[in-house]
Amino acid sequence: MAIEEIPLSETQVVEAAPGRRERGLWRDAMRETFRKRSARLGAVILGFLVFIAIFAPLLAPYRELEVLISSEGLRPRAEPCIHVSVEWIPEVPVLEQIKSFLESNGFSCPSDQPQHLMGLDGNGRDEFSRILYGARVSLVAGVAAVSFAVLIGTFAGLVSGFIGGRFDNGVMRVMDVMLAFPALLLAIAIVTARGPGLFNAVIAVSVVTIPVYARVVRSRVISVREQDFVTADEALGVKRRRILSHRVLPNSLTPLVVLATLGIATAVLELAALSFVGLGGDPDRAEWGRMLALERNQLFTSPHLVFYPGLMIMLNVLAFNLIGDGLRDALDPRLNK
Amino acid sequence: MRHQRFRWLAALLALGLVAAACGGDDDDDAADNNDTEASAFEGLSFDESASCNTDAYAGNIAKLEAVDELTVKFTLCNPDVAFPAKVAFSAVGIFSTEQLEETGGAPIDNPIGTGPYKLEQWERGNQIVLTANEDYWGDAPPMKTVVFRWGEESAQRLVELQSGSVDGIDNVGTEDFGTVEDDSNLQLIERDPLNVFYLGFNVDKPPFDNEKLRQAIGYAIDKDRIVDNFYPQGSLVADQFVPPGIPSYQDGADGYTYDPDQARSLLTEAGYPNGVDLGVLSYRAAVRGYLPQPPQVASDIRDQLAQVGITVQLDQQEDGAFIDNANAGNLGFYMLGWGADFPDATNFWDFHFGEGASPQFGTGFPELHDVLSEAGSTTDEDARNDLYNQANEMLKEHAQALPIAYGGSAVAFKASVDGAHASPLSNEQFSAMSIEGQDQLVWMQNAEPSGLYCADETDGEALRVCEQINESLLAYEVGGTEVVPSLATDYESNDDLTEWTFTLREGVKFHDGSAFDADDVVKSYRVQWDAADPLHVGREGLFTYWGALFGGFLNPPPEPAA
Amino acid sequence: MLRFILRRLVSAIPVLFGILLATFVLARIIPGDPCQAALQERATPEACADFNERYGFNDPIITQFVHYAGDVFSGDLGESIRLRQPVTDLLIERLPVTLQLSAAALFIAVIVGVPLGVLAGSRHNSKTDVATVVGANLGVSIPVFVLGLILQYIFAKQLAGTFLALPASGQLTAGVIPDPFYEVWGLPENPVFQFISNIDTVNAILIWRWDIFWDAVRHLILPAVALSTIAMAVIARMTRSSLLDVLGLDYVRTARAKGLRERLVIGRHALRNSMLPVVTVVGLSFGTLLGGAILTETIFNITGVGKTLFDAISGRDYFVIQGFTLVVAVAFVVINLLTDILYGVLDPKVRVG
Repeated sequence: MAIEEIPLSETQVVEAAPGRRERGLWRDAMRETFRKRSARLGAVILGFLVFIAIFAPLLAPYRELEVLISSEGLRPRAEPCIHVSVEWIPEVPVLEQIKSFLESNGFSCPSDQPQHLMGLDGNGRDEFSRILYGARVSLVAGVAAVSFAVLIGTFAGLVSGFIGGRFDNGVMRVMDVMLAFPALLLAIAIVTARGPGLFNAVIAVSVVTIPVYARVVRSRVISVREQDFVTADEALGVKRRRILSHRVLPNSLTPLVVLATLGIATAVLELAALSFVGLGGDPDRAEWGRMLALERNQLFTSPHLVFYPGLMIMLNVLAFNLIGDGLRDALDPRLNK
Repeated sequence: MRHQRFRWLAALLALGLVAAACGGDDDDDAADNNDTEASAFEGLSFDESASCNTDAYAGNIAKLEAVDELTVKFTLCNPDVAFPAKVAFSAVGIFSTEQLEETGGAPIDNPIGTGPYKLEQWERGNQIVLTANEDYWGDAPPMKTVVFRWGEESAQRLVELQSGSVDGIDNVGTEDFGTVEDDSNLQLIERDPLNVFYLGFNVDKPPFDNEKLRQAIGYAIDKDRIVDNFYPQGSLVADQFVPPGIPSYQDGADGYTYDPDQARSLLTEAGYPNGVDLGVLSYRAAVRGYLPQPPQVASDIRDQLAQVGITVQLDQQEDGAFIDNANAGNLGFYMLGWGADFPDATNFWDFHFGEGASPQFGTGFPELHDVLSEAGSTTDEDARNDLYNQANEMLKEHAQALPIAYGGSAVAFKASVDGAHASPLSNEQFSAMSIEGQDQLVWMQNAEPSGLYCADETDGEALRVCEQINESLLAYEVGGTEVVPSLATDYESNDDLTEWTFTLREGVKFHDGSAFDADDVVKSYRVQWDAADPLHVGREGLFTYWGALFGGFLNPPPEPAA
Repeated sequence: MLRFILRRLVSAIPVLFGILLATFVLARIIPGDPCQAALQERATPEACADFNERYGFNDPIITQFVHYAGDVFSGDLGESIRLRQPVTDLLIERLPVTLQLSAAALFIAVIVGVPLGVLAGSRHNSKTDVATVVGANLGVSIPVFVLGLILQYIFAKQLAGTFLALPASGQLTAGVIPDPFYEVWGLPENPVFQFISNIDTVNAILIWRWDIFWDAVRHLILPAVALSTIAMAVIARMTRSSLLDVLGLDYVRTARAKGLRERLVIGRHALRNSMLPVVTVVGLSFGTLLGGAILTETIFNITGVGKTLFDAISGRDYFVIQGFTLVVAVAFVVINLLTDILYGVLDPKVRVG
């Protein structure tokens, strides 16, 4: 096609709205990410966790706070009791092996006894149900902590990078100072100041990670700010706010998404750590970090009470780490595709 | 040729270093230079009987006298039947006058005593190393070295014991009793539950100012369920504030029983026919003998209260903040407990419900004050029992504290430890233990002592270490609560139980070689007794136990305006 | 070159000042009156008046800060309320311990993480790559305290008595009190020597006690492994992506086009240049490890900076909180600075920017 025949509108579209092209880029990025096997695995795990979080009330045989000491006459930390001789299970060799494993380890029990797949926790509540319910809090807490930090950090980074000059310098120095302190330490200090509790722990974890997002967004803003289409907009008299939201922000999202996904993984770990040192608050709420912390001294006598919450935390963190890694690989323009 | 020169240089350098090392001074001969001659006996005597029973002096000691080198006489303002038990307590361990003066009244990290072990080194954060006192007046301790270590988690302590790197641990985890018993390499020794776990109220804070409400809660708690499910074997359901084993424990006391119907009807009488939300139940996560599983018990109590329509939210506070709040009277409804320091009723009753008690329960009850002060000074056993029965009933009626459980605990040792025992007062004597084929015994407890001058310590972790180093006039028998002779071979009192004369043991030496005499006893007591004494310093200057044992200080600092 | 270094130094100054300010604020946001925390029951109004006067808590905040800053610059970090020791003494006792632990953890992280990253990067998108990525992430996903407990259980209990047995906690076997090297050598006792003598492994070598050295190393293994997992994953990730970056560059394409074997392509050409960002990450990890050892130190009963800080926060030991956080934060900034400068030395492109 001859050059003169390229319609003017197309060139205008290409130059004036990189935002729209970004969105197409997103679809490509998603596809690219999940081409990686590890990211697919992460997505599957995350999907599983979200599923049990949403459908916990349907899946859980008991309620979250239901104490079974009086009603079923069981002791706290009772061993798992799995009904293995149920008729509708087909006679497949694998299942037979599992069945005999469970039986030989004393985990199986006759069907007239109440079933507790993961036994009872330290207060006589069904561990399996609490694991399921725990998905809600643990997932939400991690996402909330990061969302809050991303919101504030992005805002700070956007404004700071765009205004530049001394204001920018000042804000970045503040961020540097915050980053100089070990995250867990700062979080412990904040929770100690505000009092134990999940809400305060979430606030602590998010405050501690704000500088990370602020820094990244700001550096992106600075590089985007120099580009032609922004200069063009400024020359055209487009309002600053509009430039920020329509040009700068979309272009800064790439590293942010990667960081945020990985950040959720870190946030979940930090929240678990805070629970471990006793700053997690209410022992009644089913939250994996708290459940693990409460039973940590029973590692050798009731390892399943430590193992299952620990496994769930690990899966939670792993899922976000794998997805984040995949996103990073997909969105990094330097990598040969 | 260059090689030769280097070799000479190196040799010279090496020689120089060796010379310097050899010439280096040892610091430890300083201790030997201490006077081994007995310091002249002065016959210290302090007579403050004029202050007895005045507003300025709330204490019970009237006069302290070193009658002669080996005789000390105490005169009290009022009779005290428990005086021997108090004198055996580690807070009144005897220090040498010289050391008190040298350290300015604060021998916190270098105590020198007369005990079977002396302090070799305190490596802050890591370990305390004690070595046997060769010149001990009693039987030479079999173990040459005793090392104290600490670990906060019961699982960690158990792993250390099982792996063999420590020989004994304190506070075996509730679930681990079975594991230790099943292990043929270990021995589990239970401790009598000489403590009480209670639910406390501040009766000035609504809605807890409502007596019927407090009583309703008393009936709503299923204490058996709590003790069965959250306490180790050897624990008991509490029927009164004082545990069995403390004199003045009343058999067959009539405490609250689990009666949800009664609870509900009392709740209606209190003005809450449809249940009530009481706000928060405060507690801390710290594990204690009286409460080995705080969060679990808190959860269960919340659940039990919910059964009768009472809603509470759990408020887990940070350890330090919780105690501060309790002592300041900020908590309306909370979980707390108390472990016996010395086997006497006053240690439990008066501390919590006597006249000068802390504001944790709010305003006290005058009739209870009267009963307690009378009981503390009565010598007639039947009268005492009667008075404490009255106290039990008053406590049940006013219900400012609801005793729930007496918490059993246990220690675990390697099976090869001879003489392993548990003391109901957490006062294990390592000089009674021996391990064949080992020179060193390693003991792991919950936490590190804050200081080793036990006059100014309240933590059992510190007291246990002090007791190996400093001795008192009397002592508690190994693994028990009976009072036996220690630095005093004998004592007698007048009929009134106001004058107590102790005959001291002859030929006892402190670890630094100086001689022990009655002056040291008087001085050790005096620096605690007189708040104006320049040596009344300690680590924090609180000397909490003096107040609890003997009522008060001379020349106390003015009370803060309430 | 010099201008680059100077520029970085100058930009660090406001951050250091900010840290000074932040530690001052940090100690004060912890609730509780300092007088109450220190004196507890003895905290009468008169006693508190004296206390506040002595520590300057009555002065306006600005004055307090100025005094604090002045004290810090003259080397006075106050005294621990609980432990009754000057904070500087405590630092000399405990910072070396954390340094030793962090160094050991970093060492493990590097010798495991770098080869893993190279492996994953050289087989991009293959099964090995996936396995390594998942494996490294797995390591990072297990909470440190769970890993620590499991390690203790396996090596201290299950393997007790075998040659694989490792101690469950502590820094040295109970009862062992090594002589400080300056005493053995007859050197004067000064803070620097004390600091060095508190690094158990180094001190043991200096007094030529290999049994103590080995004891110290055995006690280091489990906590160092537990602590290394996070840094290991970061280093592996960085090595992998950096290698992938370099592998996409022209000269590598040329080498491949020339028919060079893949192993030589990576080993001779790509590896060296991809190490640069890894160096940065290693430097940064050290700073993170220094502060992140809190949980590990608590689980393994190692008396280092992390454990002391945690105890101080719980015990409201203001001067320890201030002093220790100050040192940790400053150390982090300094390490960052050095890493930046090192990077600038190694990579000329950065200096011009």
